[in-house]
Amino acid sequence: MTELAQTLIFGVLIGSVYALMATGLTLTFGVMKIVNMAQGAFLVLSAYLCYGLWSRFGIDPLLGGFIVTVPMAILGVALYRLVIERVQRIDPGLTIVATFALALVVEACITLIWGPDPTASTPAYFNQAFRLGSVVVPRAQFYACLLAVGVTVALQAIVRRSWLGHAITAASENPEGARLVGVQPARVGAWIFAIATASSAFGGAALSFLYQFTPDSQDVWIGLTLSVVILGGLGSIPGAFAAGLLLGVAEAVTSTYISVRWSAAVPTLLILVVLLIRPQGLFTRAARPDAAT
Amino acid sequence: MSATAARRAVIALAVVILAAFPLVSGNLYLQNLLIMTFLLAIGAGGWNIMGGYAGYISLGNSLFIGLGAYTTGILAVRAHLSPFVGCLAGGLVCALAAAVLSLVTRRTRGMYFVIVTFAALQLLGIVATTWSGLTGGSQGLALPLPTWSLSHQNWPFYYPLLALLVLAVAVSTWVRRSKLGLGLFAIADDEDKAAGLGVRTDIYKMIAFVFGGTFVGIAGGLYAYYVSFLNVAAVFDVVTSVLIVLAALLGGRGTLWGPVLGAFILEPLANFTSTGLGGADAGAIRLLLFGGLLGAVVLFLPRGVLPTVTRAWSRVQAGRPTTPALATTPAAATPPAAATPPASAATPAPATTPTATTLAPATTPAPALTPGAGSGLAVLTRDRALPAAGDALQARGLVKTFGGLRAVDGVDLTVTAARITGLLGPNGSGKTTLFNLIDGTVSASSGQVILAGRSLGHRGRAARAHAGLARTYQLPRLFPSLTVAENVAAAQRRFSFRQLWLPRVSADERARAIDVLSGLGLAGYADSNPAELSYGQRKLIELAQVLWLDPVLLMLDEPAAGISPALAQRLAGMVRSLQRHGVAILLVEHDLAFLASLCDHVYVMANGKIIASGTVTEVSGDPAVVDAYLGDEVALAAAERTA
Repeated sequence: MTELAQTLIFGVLIGSVYALMATGLTLTFGVMKIVNMAQGAFLVLSAYLCYGLWSRFGIDPLLGGFIVTVPMAILGVALYRLVIERVQRIDPGLTIVATFALALVVEACITLIWGPDPTASTPAYFNQAFRLGSVVVPRAQFYACLLAVGVTVALQAIVRRSWLGHAITAASENPEGARLVGVQPARVGAWIFAIATASSAFGGAALSFLYQFTPDSQDVWIGLTLSVVILGGLGSIPGAFAAGLLLGVAEAVTSTYISVRWSAAVPTLLILVVLLIRPQGLFTRAARPDAAT
Repeated sequence: MSATAARRAVIALAVVILAAFPLVSGNLYLQNLLIMTFLLAIGAGGWNIMGGYAGYISLGNSLFIGLGAYTTGILAVRAHLSPFVGCLAGGLVCALAAAVLSLVTRRTRGMYFVIVTFAALQLLGIVATTWSGLTGGSQGLALPLPTWSLSHQNWPFYYPLLALLVLAVAVSTWVRRSKLGLGLFAIADDEDKAAGLGVRTDIYKMIAFVFGGTFVGIAGGLYAYYVSFLNVAAVFDVVTSVLIVLAALLGGRGTLWGPVLGAFILEPLANFTSTGLGGADAGAIRLLLFGGLLGAVVLFLPRGVLPTVTRAWSRVQAGRPTTPALATTPAAATPPAAATPPASAATPAPATTPTATTLAPATTPAPALTPGAGSGLAVLTRDRALPAAGDALQARGLVKTFGGLRAVDGVDLTVTAARITGLLGPNGSGKTTLFNLIDGTVSASSGQVILAGRSLGHRGRAARAHAGLARTYQLPRLFPSLTVAENVAAAQRRFSFRQLWLPRVSADERARAIDVLSGLGLAGYADSNPAELSYGQRKLIELAQVLWLDPVLLMLDEPAAGISPALAQRLAGMVRSLQRHGVAILLVEHDLAFLASLCDHVYVMANGKIIASGTVTEVSGDPAVVDAYLGDEVALAAAERTA
């Protein structure tokens, strides 16, 4: 019983971090139907930047995440302006290929700068834990979970309540109509990418003290974040959060009761199963298929 | 010497040189380079059938190399099966894997396929590492070493791979020229439309992906024997996937020779970076180079080398006779950027005398009205048992809800055979959604569609087209990478595997297509690109497509909207002669005069419900109808006053 409770708590804590890591992808996918395959590379890049702030200046990664949002937001705007906008004009189908190419370039640059060896930030709390009766709650994961909930709530508030959020929704649902009421889809697109990549700074911050990371681990993270987004459905933020939790629990259960090694297969296996059986995701109603025409 | 003959000579020469090379030269470095090039060319060519022809990009195609290699390796180690036989088993395993993965495209499109192929590559990598009892895991798998004499050099790898490459190109050529290829190009252009014309898109895509995967799998098996040691990271490598996609994009996606050309450009470069670069950063530089190159090709050379060169060449050719010295031909002389590969570059552009041919029948619409030879209705072979009288279509209690919105709210509607039935209603009343429910684009929340006495149940779009249901769209949807004749012949009345291997458009079909087109006054346009035609002409071609289906019921969505009165007359004439042939017609139209001239019976929809039915005169006097049409405006006016 304790083992099960422990497994579930681990799963929920990790799952919320998965959701956090996927927020950037959720936004671009949900709003603009653009899959940014460089999301994993952005996460790892953010992790390295947070690690750099921590190791050089002793800035706690939780705080470092906020600082790293600035360069990441700039990167997002540059990505949108220099790559996405152009490829969307040439052939929208190639957008995913272009971002994939970017992922490889970012991975290569990280390797050239920081080298290929495993790295991790180790703030004081990284291996401490609370105890709730016989159940252990690691402090680092608990803080990361709080960060995840905070970022998710903030993003949801931006999308639901702010003018920008309404403009984002309008521009994605009907670009022509949005233009008529004074929303410029290109500018909104740049904002979405800025917010999306900025949010990956928090995912990267959590990554930097929760895991060892290497430049080529971006592969794993893009697989995992894609899995969260697909499980969650068409880019809904609450859906992605639920999906992250589910994925975390599924992984924790697999590694406790089956094998740690097989737990790595859970995200990609879920992608295949979900896309074969319920492509609209687990947590959404079917979207109106003819609405786009 | 014609261009085709020249091209054939070049290809034959290239094959002869490649075949003779190892016999003449003992240079093992170059033999190795060519072997790796063949492998990449097979990979890129296989990718191209799904990624180029059908438009479904995959980022995980190296999974087939890995699957083929591991199947062969495992059989060689555990069952002592010769890798030359084992690689065939590898091809089979890949064919199965491709078939399963292609199932994902039954209900989803483009980017999901990218994701699923990428995920499958990762998953197989994890499985191969973890299931170490079978694969050797992270220790790797050593295959038995080749036993032949050293004097044979690498011939036993070189020749099978060269033969496999020739075979792969031959299959790719043949796919392009067959009905399978026609359907794949149609899928790349507009998949929903293709399904509505009776193309079994699911089967087409599965075959396309299976073809590509099988060749790569066999090649992967030979590769396993060639390198004689497999480790997961090298075999299920995402960089190999990148090279495959890059070779195809660089050479020219969707062309026949582009992927092969791309492989021959790329592999020497890849080989140089893996042998020429040393040091700790070699891997990163390789990644930077190929990632950067992939990005650069997407951004700056999205059509690829081959189409770009062919286009420049045809521009030079076109400019030569007219401009002697200073070639300053304006852009107008170049054909519009067609998505079609060079094969169709020879398409004559009849755009020189369009007005004469199109307007001629408009002044004398009589020929279109008389059924028989030349009316275009010869295509209706009537091998389908039409209900001579009675109900062609019955919709019973059709409901479609989108969230809380009941877009179609319990519609009962009957369309009688050999009659023209109208459907009226203000914008947003649910007419197009009703069409989408009937033709299966959208599945109904509840209710039934019965065609010629048989319930269509949950049948897909292609099956409904085969059952005799055809529709046109408010905005005509044609396939821009096919000619007009191919657009017409893309429609299929039934599905059979045998038919897939037939030529795109047979001589007989071409004659029939021209007959249909001439009935619509478009005889001269059979080889044109639909993009060159006017909006009204495209509407007529869409009508020709649905005639090809020999429909029991034809649904026309605002056929006369936005076209000239002359064309509208021609269209009306065609609709009447179809009616005389026994086809039931359901027509959405806002033009009351046009409706009144054609329809015996009309239904009026508002807010998802049928609110009136009868003759045009009857319903136009109905107060409910007047209210539905004017109520909005009255309400809006009232709102404006209060605002």
